[in-house]
Amino acid sequence: MLGNFLIGLREGLEATLVVVILMAYLVKSGRSHLLPKLWIGIGAAVSISIAFGALLTFGPRGLTFEAQEAIGGSLSIVAVGMVTWMVFWMARTARTLGTELHGKIDAAATGAAWGIILVGALSVGREGLETALFLWAAAQATGESTVPLLGAVLGLAVAVLLGYLLHRGVLKINLGKFFTVTGIFLILVAGGVLSYGIHDLQEAGLLPGLHNLAFDVSGAIPPDSWYGTLLKGTFNFSPATTWLEAIAWWAYVVPTLYFYLRNYRRSQAARKAAAARRATQSLPADTAPVSSRAAAPVS
Amino acid sequence: MPASPRRAFSSLAALAVVAPLALTACTDNAKPAAGATDGPISVSSTDKECTLSAVTAKSGHLTFDVKNDGQQVTEFYLLAEDGLRIVGEVENIGPGLSRKLVVTAPEGKYLTACKPGMQGEGIRAAFTVEASGTTASVDSDTKALLDTATKQYVSYVKDQTEQLLTGTKAFAAAYASGDAAKARSLYASVRMHWERIEPVAESFGDLDPSLDLREADLEKGQQWTGWHKAEKDLFPPKGYTALTAAERQKLSQKLVADTQTLFERTRTLTLTPDKLGNGAKELLDEVATGKVTGEEEIWSHTDLWDFQANVDGARIAYQNLRPVVALKKPELAKTLDQRFAALQTELDKYKVGDGFKYYIELTPDQVKQLAALVDALGEPLGQLTAAVVL
Repeated sequence: MLGNFLIGLREGLEATLVVVILMAYLVKSGRSHLLPKLWIGIGAAVSISIAFGALLTFGPRGLTFEAQEAIGGSLSIVAVGMVTWMVFWMARTARTLGTELHGKIDAAATGAAWGIILVGALSVGREGLETALFLWAAAQATGESTVPLLGAVLGLAVAVLLGYLLHRGVLKINLGKFFTVTGIFLILVAGGVLSYGIHDLQEAGLLPGLHNLAFDVSGAIPPDSWYGTLLKGTFNFSPATTWLEAIAWWAYVVPTLYFYLRNYRRSQAARKAAAARRATQSLPADTAPVSSRAAAPVS
Repeated sequence: MPASPRRAFSSLAALAVVAPLALTACTDNAKPAAGATDGPISVSSTDKECTLSAVTAKSGHLTFDVKNDGQQVTEFYLLAEDGLRIVGEVENIGPGLSRKLVVTAPEGKYLTACKPGMQGEGIRAAFTVEASGTTASVDSDTKALLDTATKQYVSYVKDQTEQLLTGTKAFAAAYASGDAAKARSLYASVRMHWERIEPVAESFGDLDPSLDLREADLEKGQQWTGWHKAEKDLFPPKGYTALTAAERQKLSQKLVADTQTLFERTRTLTLTPDKLGNGAKELLDEVATGKVTGEEEIWSHTDLWDFQANVDGARIAYQNLRPVVALKKPELAKTLDQRFAALQTELDKYKVGDGFKYYIELTPDQVKQLAALVDALGEPLGQLTAAVVL
C-alpha cells in the first residue's frame, strides 16, 4: 500500500508542481483568462498518456526500453526549455502589472497562448507515459487485490491536494516577493527536470557516464522513504546523481538564475518608476516605460 | 529569449512532436521467442530475494513478468555481462504489482538484478541467453559488442607488447653478453609475442623493418637491424663471419630501444572493428606467404612458432568479434569456428614440449596439408570485416 502510494505521490508531484506554480503566476499577473489554455494542455497530455499506456499494456505491441527512456528524457529536456521561456516571459510582463498595458502585450504575443498549452502538456506529459504504465499495472493487479491501485490513486490524489494547497499558499505571498520566490523555485524545479531527463537518456545508453556518480547519499536518503519521495517529486533530487546530471544542473541553474534576477530587478525598477510618476504627476498609465532599458537597476 | 515567440513556438512544438516519434521504437508484446519452449520468464522480487523461473533463454525477444511480492518498491534490470550497461529495466513496481519487461537480446552472458528499495547494486544473478534460430539485430547491441571487441583486442595487444618487451630485454642481455645458448633458447618464444600482434606493429611503419626485416628483403644501402640479423648470428650458416662483441652490443641495444618505442606507442592505441577484421586476415596472409614457405626463419627454422603466433593473433581478433559475427552472419561464424579448429588440430601434431618441430623436419606433404588448411581458413576470414562493419 505505502509503496504504491509513494510512487503515485512522487509521479503526481512531478507532474503537478510546475503546473501549480504556473497557475499562480497567471492568476497573480492578472492573466486568469489564460488558465483554460493551461488546462487544455494538461487534459491533452493526460488523455494521450492514459490511452498510449493502455495501448502498450493491453495492445499487441510494447515499447522498447530504450524508446520509453528516450521519450521521457527528451520530453523532459524540451519541457525545461519551455518552462524557462515561461519564467522569462512572466518576468518581462510582470513589469506591466497594475497597468493597462499587459493586455496589449499579451495580445501582441499570440504565441504565448500556444506556449501555455505546450508548457502544461509537457509538464504533465513528460512523465505521463511512465505514470500511465504504472497505473495500468496497478489496475491489472486488481484481479488479485485492489490495494495497489488504491495506493497509487491515493498517492496521486494527495499530490493534487498538496498542489492545490501550494497554489493557495503561493497566492498569499505578497506581490513584492511573489515573482522572485516563484521564479527561483521554478528554475530550481526545471534544473531538476533537466537532470532527470539526462538520467533517462543515460539509462537508454544515448548519453554516457551512467555509472560515474558525483555523489551517492541513498543510504541517508532512501529513494523509497517519504522524504526521498518528496525531494524527488519536487526538485527531482536523485540520491545517486551522476556527474553529467550534476554538471547539467549547475550549468543550467546558475546562468538562468543570474539572468532572471537581473531582468527581474530591472522590471521592478521600471515598475516603481512608473508607479511613482503616476502617483506624483497622475499621468495616463500607458506612458509607463516598457523598454527594459528605461531605468537603471535599483541596487 | 526568443525574439519572435510565434516562430520559437512552432519550432519547439514541432520538436516536441517529432522527438518522441523519431525515437519511438516498437517491439512485439509478449510474443514468445521463436524456438523458445517457455514463454515469458516470471520474476518474483521480494525484499530479500530475486527469483526467476528460468536463468537461460533463447535469443530474440525476451519477456520478463516481474512481480513484486515484497513490501518495498522494486525495480528489475537486465544488465550486460559487465554489470554496467543496462539492456532493459522496469521501474516503479509497487508492492503487489506486476510489470512487464520486453527486451531484444542476442546470445551471451547477462546479469539480472532486482532492486528492492530502488537503491544499490540490487540482488544480482547470472543469466544466459543461448543462440536460437532467430537473430536479434539491434544496432545499439551491435555497437556495444563492437566496442567490447576492440577494447578486448587493445588489451590483448598491450599485454603481448609488455611480454615482448620483457622477453626482448632478457634475450638482448643474453645475446650481448655472449650467452648464445640462452639467446637461442629464448629466440622463438619471445618472437611469438611479436608475431601475434604483427599487423598492429606494422601499422607503425618505421618499426617493422627495423625490427623484423629479413636479409632477403634488404634493399641496397639499407642498414640491416633487428631479430633476423641476430638469428643469422645465433644460427650461423656455413661460411658466416660472426659479429664482434661490439656489434652484438649495438644490435641488442637497437632491438630493445625499438621494442620500447613499440611498447610506448601501444599504450595509447585505439582500434576500430575493421582493423581487427583486416588484421586477422593479414596474419593469415603472413602465414600463407612467409611461414608456409619456411622463409621467415631461414636459419633457425622456428617457423612453426611464428605460424602458431600468427594464428593465435588472428583467432583472438576473430573471437573478440565473434558475438557480432554470430549476430549478423551466423553461418560465417560456424565456418570460421570449424576451420580455426581444424588448423589448430593440425598444428598440434607438431608440438614438442613447449615448442614445435623445426620446419625442416616436416615432409613436403605435411607442409602441403598445413598450407591447404591455411587457405581454407583465409577465404572465410576475408569476409570477416565486411560481416562486422556493414
